[in-house]
Amino acid sequence: MVRKVAVVAGGHSKFGKRYDATMRELSAEAYKPIYDEGITQDRIDATVLSYAASQFTGQGAGSALIADYIGLPDKPHLRVESACTTGTASLRAAWGMVAAGLYDVMLVLGVEQMNRVSSATATEYMSRAGDMRWEYPYGISFPAFYALMASRYMYEYNMPHDILAKIAVKSHHYGAQNPKAHLPREVSFEEANNAVPIARPLNLYDCSLITDGAAAVVIAAEERVSEFTDRPMWIRGIGAGASEMKIQDRTTLTSISGAKSAAKAAYKMAGLGPEDMNMAEVHDCFTIAELIAYEDLGFAEPGKGREIVENKENYHTGRIPVNCDGGLKSKGHPLGATGVSMTYEIMKQMRGEAENASRQIKDVQYGLAHNVGQSGQFVNIFIFERGW
Amino acid sequence: MAEQKELYLGYTTDKAITPWFQKFLEALDQEKLLKSVCTKCNAEALPPRQYCQKCLSETEFAEFTEREAIMHSYVVVDFAPETLSSKAPYVVAIGEFPSGKRITAHITNLMSQPEVGMSLKLAFDKIDDKHITYKWLV
Repeated sequence: MVRKVAVVAGGHSKFGKRYDATMRELSAEAYKPIYDEGITQDRIDATVLSYAASQFTGQGAGSALIADYIGLPDKPHLRVESACTTGTASLRAAWGMVAAGLYDVMLVLGVEQMNRVSSATATEYMSRAGDMRWEYPYGISFPAFYALMASRYMYEYNMPHDILAKIAVKSHHYGAQNPKAHLPREVSFEEANNAVPIARPLNLYDCSLITDGAAAVVIAAEERVSEFTDRPMWIRGIGAGASEMKIQDRTTLTSISGAKSAAKAAYKMAGLGPEDMNMAEVHDCFTIAELIAYEDLGFAEPGKGREIVENKENYHTGRIPVNCDGGLKSKGHPLGATGVSMTYEIMKQMRGEAENASRQIKDVQYGLAHNVGQSGQFVNIFIFERGW
Repeated sequence: MAEQKELYLGYTTDKAITPWFQKFLEALDQEKLLKSVCTKCNAEALPPRQYCQKCLSETEFAEFTEREAIMHSYVVVDFAPETLSSKAPYVVAIGEFPSGKRITAHITNLMSQPEVGMSLKLAFDKIDDKHITYKWLV
């Protein structure tokens, strides 16, 4: 018998270049608000404490380090790794354990410390998530994988770069209103459209940030939820997907097949469709990824995602508000924390607790988190439901 | 014994070198590109696989002889991974052969903006004494 599971609390560190903290302090910063709400260590049965890439810190057995540091040295823990989906993969793993009855209450914490190495070294590490035998030797950086999608998308749908720049403008507009964001400032269309190239056709403002940060949520089984909150956010649907390792082997570069199959599974489990979603947190590691997400999630037909952008339907008062926290682009992308941060943001929006009314989405009943790893090799999609 | 050759950059491909991959590199050094053909189900792979993706049986090498391709997609890498930063900017293209097989490699002689759909020709290069590669020419 699968038990219903809800997210009952969340915490979030400041994202940014956090030279004042390492993985351990960032983790404490994410757990502290949860602790302050009264969810002390003794109320947590077990934890999933994850980060995507140990090479950034050199720390082995990091989940043990984090567990010990935040006062959970004697509670069962594990680390889940699946590139940029590490956060939602951790949530998926924890959901399974709670739903199955193994534990009642679990802490899921995602963290990444990326800025103790140079940007070139970080780019190097991330490029090694490509096939080391056949792709890596050709210097295909992480932005380059998405640039390969962008150039094909722009060719097939005759789309100018302007559309991507407008997505960046929107992300920064909301990031500027999020005190947790890494780069909380507005950018103009001209700035975003004409920035220094990184992996053409993508420029600096098409790319997410190399960020340090952590986010945490607590999940609980239905019969225990009321001990923690009267505003639970139910996990209503979960879908996971995968795509070919080498990007050249993909049937299409204008869509991520693993995201489409994950969306289909999540909608089916939830008994809902894209038209039911009141908001989405999508994996905008690059602007082109956000555009493709609109289509893979069913918010737009293939090739028509640009209409959402042109009509500003993705703004907080629009038809499908997307990343009104700044997204990976402006809020930042600490790899292992990202999926948990998306979950935290949806809970915050449902509770009407966005820091600024100018980014508060009205009446969120259903929210969707779309978390993609590498260039689509891993995908997790969660559909959350307001439980009050 | 000849010096160990490595694929292009070679920085970490040495970790991927096995007796099977060594054969691929020796052929590449002779300007031959090898594909794999499954001994059980005849499935072909390019780049080759030692074990068939479909039935996990052993494969055999066969020479891949197509040379003309169409650019399926491209990227101009301006900000490169650390180990290739001295070569940036460089153009990486996925080229598709008439058979539908694809290869990802650098274009080394492009003097204009790359365009999806442009014609590519597969060629070979000795970067230096140690590093060899296949590449695209326009």
